[in-house]
Amino acid sequence: MAAGIYVDKVRKVFGTFEALKSVSLDVQPEEFTVLLGPSGCGKTTLLRIIAGLETETSGVLKIGDKQVNGLPPRDRNIAMVFQNYAVFPHLTIFENIAFGLRMKKLLNSEIEPRVKKAAGMMHIEHLLERYSGQLSGGQRQRVAVARALAMEPEVLLMDEPLSNLDALLRLEMRAELKGLLAESRTTTIYVTHDQVEAMSLADRIAVMHGGHIIQYDSPIQVYQNPANEFCGGFIGNPPMNFLQAERRNGHCHIAGAALTAPSQGNGRVTLGIRPEDVVVAEASAADHLSGHVTVVEPLGPHNLLTLSVDQQLFRVTTAADSPIRSGQEVHLALAPGRLRWFDSESGQALH
Amino acid sequence: MISEKTLPYWLLAPSLVFLIALFAYPFADAFIIAFQADGQWTFENFRTMADDINFGLSFWNTLILVLIVVPLQLAIALTMAMMLTKIRAGRDLVLYVWTIPLGISDLAAGVVWLALLSERGYINTALSALGLLDGPTLWLSYETPVALFVAVIFAEVWRATAIVMVILVAGVQLIPKEYNEAAEIFGASAWQRFIKITLPLLKPSLQTALILRTLLAFEVFAVVVALGGRDLPVLMGEAFLWQFDYRDSGVASAYAVLILLISIAFTLVYLRVLRVKEEPQ
Amino acid sequence: MTDATQEDLQDKRNLLDRLLPRWSVGQWLFATICLILCLWVLLPIYLLVLSAFSPRDAVFAWPKAYLPFDISTDTIAFFFGVRGVFSAFLNSVMVAALTMVISIGLGAPAGYALARFRFRGKDSFRLLIVMTRAFPIAILALPLTVTFIKLGLYDTVFGVALVHSALALPFAVLISSSLFMGIPFELEEAAWTMGCTRFQAFWRVVMPIATPGLAAAAIFAFVISWNEVFAATILTLQHPTLTAFLLTTLSESPLYFRFAGGFFLVVPALVFIFAVRKYLFSMWGIANR
Repeated sequence: MAAGIYVDKVRKVFGTFEALKSVSLDVQPEEFTVLLGPSGCGKTTLLRIIAGLETETSGVLKIGDKQVNGLPPRDRNIAMVFQNYAVFPHLTIFENIAFGLRMKKLLNSEIEPRVKKAAGMMHIEHLLERYSGQLSGGQRQRVAVARALAMEPEVLLMDEPLSNLDALLRLEMRAELKGLLAESRTTTIYVTHDQVEAMSLADRIAVMHGGHIIQYDSPIQVYQNPANEFCGGFIGNPPMNFLQAERRNGHCHIAGAALTAPSQGNGRVTLGIRPEDVVVAEASAADHLSGHVTVVEPLGPHNLLTLSVDQQLFRVTTAADSPIRSGQEVHLALAPGRLRWFDSESGQALH
Repeated sequence: MISEKTLPYWLLAPSLVFLIALFAYPFADAFIIAFQADGQWTFENFRTMADDINFGLSFWNTLILVLIVVPLQLAIALTMAMMLTKIRAGRDLVLYVWTIPLGISDLAAGVVWLALLSERGYINTALSALGLLDGPTLWLSYETPVALFVAVIFAEVWRATAIVMVILVAGVQLIPKEYNEAAEIFGASAWQRFIKITLPLLKPSLQTALILRTLLAFEVFAVVVALGGRDLPVLMGEAFLWQFDYRDSGVASAYAVLILLISIAFTLVYLRVLRVKEEPQ
Repeated sequence: MTDATQEDLQDKRNLLDRLLPRWSVGQWLFATICLILCLWVLLPIYLLVLSAFSPRDAVFAWPKAYLPFDISTDTIAFFFGVRGVFSAFLNSVMVAALTMVISIGLGAPAGYALARFRFRGKDSFRLLIVMTRAFPIAILALPLTVTFIKLGLYDTVFGVALVHSALALPFAVLISSSLFMGIPFELEEAAWTMGCTRFQAFWRVVMPIATPGLAAAAIFAFVISWNEVFAATILTLQHPTLTAFLLTTLSESPLYFRFAGGFFLVVPALVFIFAVRKYLFSMWGIANR
């Protein structure tokens, strides 16, 4: 049943605003793809174009082998879960889940088991006779997902489905969704601005920024090898540290340390390193940075240190029982395999 | 033919055609009828209108009525709107009662006040019970023009304050509570808050309410007829008389054009005086 | 003062305390003004209804009784017995019903377009709608008399309904537009993704939710027509509406007849405001912006 999705050089212009600038995606059948980015990056626009709710300005769109440009949503064999759930207030939950099946003119005898099955997967069998007004946000969310699953679509589209839930419920639903969708083997595109959600759910993440897809890779690749400074800064909490360095004769000089340069040439480069890849060292060494601790935040499992390194902001995580206090001067050892270098001008990763 | 782009136009088309047929066309036609006599372009109808013995009287009656009624209604409606923000229990009931006149026609309002103000009516009963009157007294006649005028004012204020209030209440609801609370924290008294916060922020609604109510007030007609027959001439009443009794559409249309011109003039004045700055939202 | 009277006074005070809420002077003043304004609205209506349900000769009674001691349907019966009243009543009902159908039938689609689409000319159309409310009725009705005579619409129920629809249409557009705006677009989109055409989605999802609001808009159109005097009088002769009939017979009809007529004009107002109270503000909400 599951189909691949092929998006080629799709552009979308609203008036004078170019929301999507030649975006391409190649989603495999049964793959779970997350479109991740800050608000206004074009991720929801892309999803709505795939759904047929928005018309692309140019580009090619295929679901399975069928080109779907210009087809209305009803002819694309998709199902969608909306941000505000869109549970019809005038129908019972049963009729909500049955809605799409009735539109397909299925017989009552076929509809009932499919509604029951979808409701069972989402654990809402006991709510079928109620109306959406009598449900909590979390329950409505379940109805919206059940309604989409009951359609048994080739492609499932989800637009920030968890963003209206409170933190605890979001965590619970995230895990449940992951298990459920892995089991159903439906090709899924999932839009979110929450990088943790993206990391947890995706087979592949497409990081979007300013109407472009700037990285399209597995979560671990996106985390460890960000394609540019934006990716490194957007993903991870706290985000990747960036330090300006001076490159001379094969070495990069930052805050008293000299590190092996990634490539030849002179001039400015940017060093990127994640806070957990830095250790506060006892003594100084040639490749240790020196910094001044400004704030210590105990977060429970670990402490978060904010430092000033060469007058640039720098964050490090340490053990919860670390004796380091604010005001202290410290030495920082960087895990050698974890250094990432970026072009200071373009922000692109250097390899 | 019907695409996503053209659909809204197809949806609008019926009402647009209807409005053109029943607003734009008669509007143009009214000018033609007013400025023509026997197929010739002329000011004849306006001359006839101006020479009529009731013209000056109806003009001043209407104008003075508007100038008294509208500010009075604005003050009462503003009071009501402010009170509604303070009422804790029974707000919906009070709001419902205060909006009832919204559905009452001018003719009905005239009849209601006729019942109160007739010679042997309820108000005279009350006044004589208080010792202010000796017995049944006639108020609504050409011999007591001031009383008749006051009666019309009462009926108009009674009937048409509700519409002003609804517009103002809607406007008050748009003002975020934080502004008032912030002003209170910074030490503004209730009166200062009303003058410095609520009133300026309410300006768009005040403008809407004033324009709408003034335009409608210039069309005062059935209330006057119900209370005083022809004893108190007003502009709309004269237009009606020329059309219905004297069968002269030309002069009737001249009155209609005059009412429209006065309405436009007042609207422009309001727009100028109560200028609403385009604020970034 | 003896102890006994003092105790008595104390008792009375306790009783008062129990009966009356503990309010400050300001609160009492506030409540009093509130009550006066309510009575200002209600009392005249009550007295008209009282007049309409008194025997005919009560009109000449002096002094008037303020309480309903002498209830009678004599006046109302007389009212309906007068030649022309009943047919005028029927005409009013028919004109108002037609107005309701025409204005909602034309106005709701326009309201939907304003609520759901961005298109060139949208603001101009909205401005046009708001402006039409500022038109003096005289300038519409007078020229239309001539046109209607030519078209054979003069002195017909349909002709009056056309003019009344023109008055009610702007309200129908504004109310329905704010109504549709209150229904999340997402619901329609969800229906599209589940196999609905645009029309099916509207019919199966938007309509059921919008029906109560549209009914309120329809009632509003009904009352606009029911209350309209000027155009109805000018455009009819043998087939007047109730308002036209009352206006043209005012000067020669007895007071009790006018009171009964007034009663039938006021009653729909009470029902109407109650039925549409939830939607009163949406009529002005848009015009305010």
